Order: sequence, then structure tokens, then C-alpha cells
Amino acid sequence: MDRYHWLLVFHMAGVFLVLGGAMFAGIFNLAALRRERPSEIVVLFNLTRIAVISVMVGMTLTIVFGLWLVADLDFVEWSDAWVITAVILWFVANALGSNGGRRDRRARELAERLAAEGDQPSPELRASLRDPVSLAMSWGSGLVVIVILVLMIWKPGH
Amino acid sequence: MLAILRPEGWNFALFLHVLGATLVTGATAAAFATALASRRWPWLRRVLSRTLLLAVFPAWLLMRLAGQWIESKENIPGDPGWLGVGFLVGDGGLVLLIIAMILGAVSVRRPERRWPVGAVAVITGVYLVALVVAMVAMTGKPGS
Repeated sequence: MDRYHWLLVFHMAGVFLVLGGAMFAGIFNLAALRRERPSEIVVLFNLTRIAVISVMVGMTLTIVFGLWLVADLDFVEWSDAWVITAVILWFVANALGSNGGRRDRRARELAERLAAEGDQPSPELRASLRDPVSLAMSWGSGLVVIVILVLMIWKPGH
Repeated sequence: MLAILRPEGWNFALFLHVLGATLVTGATAAAFATALASRRWPWLRRVLSRTLLLAVFPAWLLMRLAGQWIESKENIPGDPGWLGVGFLVGDGGLVLLIIAMILGAVSVRRPERRWPVGAVAVITGVYLVALVVAMVAMTGKPGS
């Protein structure tokens, strides 16, 4: 394989870790919405941590090898609108994901406390899991990553 | 930065194929983790069964059908190894997924049996590795 293909493999590995991680987190997020016992919700949140690591590593790989590809390829310019837009959206996805993650952490801490205090269903925990701002940021982050994938494939203006 | 030189008309098929491949990989990883964890928390078997049926299989369908669509447009000359790997993992994966879905359902209906969920863990683990190999082969196109 030549250098272009090696760079592409690592860039794509990042894409798989990000979108695969988002799918992974989404599955456990939806499963948590269907459970009532705090101890079960804690188990699902702990499984979601694997996805968080996957997304963080993937986001790093996509930006590092994506920018390396831009520098390496003659027919892609730093000034291309789709490159600039993709980099801006990369920061937007990161900001949304990390804010959504912080709110999820508060829900996990509440579930852990309730699990230790008798493990009874709680309206407060249910509301925390269904917090529309948290859900919008987490799922919105995934949607922004899909928009970046669209830009990468269509390259509008190229 | 995906497949930099290709006709415009292939974009939608490629988008669906890449999206499906990333989602089937993530969903398979989730099924693998759930299968391992359900040995300690048996109630996760229902989550596992639903994940296989409602996430892994639809994502596999998207990846496989879009892959066939783009292959029909591209008309690749010869029989390159990277394409063979893609077909092997795609089509072989269906057999593995059907077995995993059946065993996942058995593990919910027969909670006293531990082996079905163990078998699902092995199958999804093997398929996850195969998907990573296919990703490397189809992106890097070694030998072409």
C-alpha cells in the first residue's frame, strides 16, 4: 500500500471508531431509557464508557489523519470550503458530545447513589435520563458527524 | 477524505455503504460487550437479543445492499483480493448473524442455559475482527 492508502486506512479507522462508538452508545442509551432499577441503569452507563473511549480516540484519528491527507494531496486545498466546513463541524461535534456526556455523567452519579440507597425506581432518575437538552446534544453530536461524512464523500465545491 | 477520485453518481451508494459498515461495526461491538456482560447480569440477554435483531441486522442490510449497488456501478475489472475480502465478510457475516440472532433468542427463552450467550459472544467477537479486517482491505486496497 502507498502512503495515501495508509493515511486513508487510519483516517477511516477513526471514522469507524466515531460512528461505531456513537451506535454503541446509542444502543445502551436507548436500553437505559427502558429500565427502571438504578443498578441496571448503572450497568448500562458503565458499558457506554467503552463507547466514549472509542469516540475520543476516533475523533483524534479523524482530525490528525484528515489534516495529514489535506497536506499530502495535490488536488485538495486548505482553502476548500468543504475542508473548512468539516473542521468547524468537527469542533461542533466535539463540543456537543462533551456537553451531552457531562450531563450523562450526572445521571450516572445519581443512578449510582440510588442503587446504593435501596435500588428503587426514582422519578428524578427517570427525568434525568430523559433530559431533552442532554439527549439533543448527544444525538445531535452523532448527526453532525454524519454531516461531516456527507461532506467527505460529496466534497461540495471541489 | 473518502475515495477521492470517483464519478459523482456513486456518492450516495458509497455514503450508505460506509454508514452501514460503521453502524454494523458499532452494533456488533455493542452485542459482543453485552454478551460478555450478560454472564454476570442475565437481564442483559434481552438487550442482547434486541441489539442483534434491531441494530446489527438492519445495519448489515444497509452495508451489504449499498455495497452491491456501488459494485454494480463500479464494474471493477478482474477479481481483486480486497473485493473478495469484502464479499466474504459481508456474505459470511449473514450466516454468523442469523446463528447469533437465533442463539440470542434462545438465551432469553431458556435462561437456565449459559452456553447460548457464550456462543453469541464468540460469534460477535469473531465477526467484529472480520469487519475490521474488511475495513482495512477495502480502504487500503492492498495489491491494487
